[in-house]
Amino acid sequence: MTIWEKMQKVDRRILYAILVVLVCGGLFFPSTIKTDPDPSSKSFYEAFMKMPKGSTVIVQTDWTNSTRGESMGHFENLMRLMMAGDHKFVFYSAADPAAPQVARTVIARIIAERKEQGFREYKVGEDYIDLGFFPNAEATNTSMGVNLRAAWAKRMSKMPTGEPGKMKEVDIWETPVLKEIGKIEDVDMMVVVTASASIDIAIQRLANKVDITALVTGVTGPTVLPFYQSGQVKGIGVGLKGVYDIEYLMANGINDVKDEKGLAVVTWNKAGSVPKVQDGTTFARGRSYYGTLHVALALLILAVVMGNVAMFASRRRKGDSV
Amino acid sequence: MNFTYDALKITAGVVSMLALYSILYRENKFYRLFEHIFLGLAAGYTIVATWKDTLYPQWWVKMFGRVPTPDNPLPDQGYWLFAALLPIGLLAYMVFSKKHNWMSKIPIGVILGLWSGQQVQIWWNTWGPQLYSSMQPVIPTTFDSLSVPSTVEVANGQIQPLAQPALGTVQQQISNNLYLTQAITNFIFVVTFVAAFSYFIFSFELKGKFLTGVNKFGRWMLMIGFGAIFGSTVMARFALVIDRMSYIVNEWVQVLFRGV
Repeated sequence: MTIWEKMQKVDRRILYAILVVLVCGGLFFPSTIKTDPDPSSKSFYEAFMKMPKGSTVIVQTDWTNSTRGESMGHFENLMRLMMAGDHKFVFYSAADPAAPQVARTVIARIIAERKEQGFREYKVGEDYIDLGFFPNAEATNTSMGVNLRAAWAKRMSKMPTGEPGKMKEVDIWETPVLKEIGKIEDVDMMVVVTASASIDIAIQRLANKVDITALVTGVTGPTVLPFYQSGQVKGIGVGLKGVYDIEYLMANGINDVKDEKGLAVVTWNKAGSVPKVQDGTTFARGRSYYGTLHVALALLILAVVMGNVAMFASRRRKGDSV
Repeated sequence: MNFTYDALKITAGVVSMLALYSILYRENKFYRLFEHIFLGLAAGYTIVATWKDTLYPQWWVKMFGRVPTPDNPLPDQGYWLFAALLPIGLLAYMVFSKKHNWMSKIPIGVILGLWSGQQVQIWWNTWGPQLYSSMQPVIPTTFDSLSVPSTVEVANGQIQPLAQPALGTVQQQISNNLYLTQAITNFIFVVTFVAAFSYFIFSFELKGKFLTGVNKFGRWMLMIGFGAIFGSTVMARFALVIDRMSYIVNEWVQVLFRGV
């Protein structure tokens, strides 16, 4: 067997092992890679940062640990943006029963992170509401569009009593988060964090009533981009690139933070500038994973090129027509 | 080593993950065991979550109401009519009866009716704005500038928005005109759109160099599109692997060493 034939018959398990070693190595060296964020990411960031402080946002979180690599970074960024902007939010899932618990874990972690950094601690009932799981996205989104108060009627939320460690149960419509909200049009934005077509369902039923933005996986992204092009969603973060884009924008803003030449790091031919996030963590999971993704992709490209070169070389050796 | 709850939890996660990844080496019992554990956990969790998050607040509380508590002194009245939902829902299980399976068509009919009633609005909400935004102009209206004029400027080495009234004038020009670069972008979009669309004309045979050429171009564009989607999917899969490795390298090792 010639070297060319051997190269075409490399055991896939050897490639898996190389991939694991390279990925683990890459994770030890997180690096800030200069990038030009996608217009859809810039739109997401702009839409979010232009909301007045203390706005109310609905978060439909339809991801679980199966897409943690992308969606968790998205959700962490969303929570950091939310808390830095002092916004109130309601979260629920209309796709997966495990999704609310996954979101709760991330929210608790980001609250702890910000508390450690000396920022105000977000409290359930006062700053956010946990609505849990709704089993049918179509019915959930339709009823939210028709009558939000009826769709979420009789839902209770925990709320601090004022005494340390003590909580009480209150009707969600009596909480500071939803007291002023009568219908979905009163909400400032709806963000759908998803790995599935639940974003399509939300757009179909709610896009003409509330501004929708989305944070989606690389698999779902191409199906959602036409909605961005037509203005049905105001901004999208797609996949791991989207996670890194938002972190990059949080650190640099748009037409805002200057490089060594005095020019903005991220530019966009739109009037005005969007500031960077003034407090808390900006670069996190996206930065850690994005460089590693380049390493993994380099391995993939190298393997494809080597396989093809070997195939052509071995055919030429045998005298086959190429 | 102080094995805290966190350490145990993450260690269990790592063992489960390695068990599931072991299929990459070859089929084995370790993989099958954890696959079944995973399925059982998911099914059990779904039952609890459905009751706790959905049936209890959405159906049970609405049916029976809520008794007053010190925290919530106002009682909620129940509505007995919600009880009627149970037999309607249970009718779906009559599908397992040979004699009475016609009854299962009642809840299915209700669901189909609700579904069908929404479809006209949903179709328009999905495609209406996209049809509208696909009608792009392709003839430039001005050649004063080849590309869209900038709304920001570099002053004293800093990027900043144009000052008024210059900003207002430029914004007015942008909204009133189609610049050459915009026209080229729109042209590429429209040609791709029409060509890809023409690929799906099966009602009659396409003849002649022009029509078959457009059809072939459409096929190429579709293939390029699928290639881009596939590339995005591959990146997504890599992101999942990276996260799993990070779970071991960062989270697990960190917790273990914190517990030392």
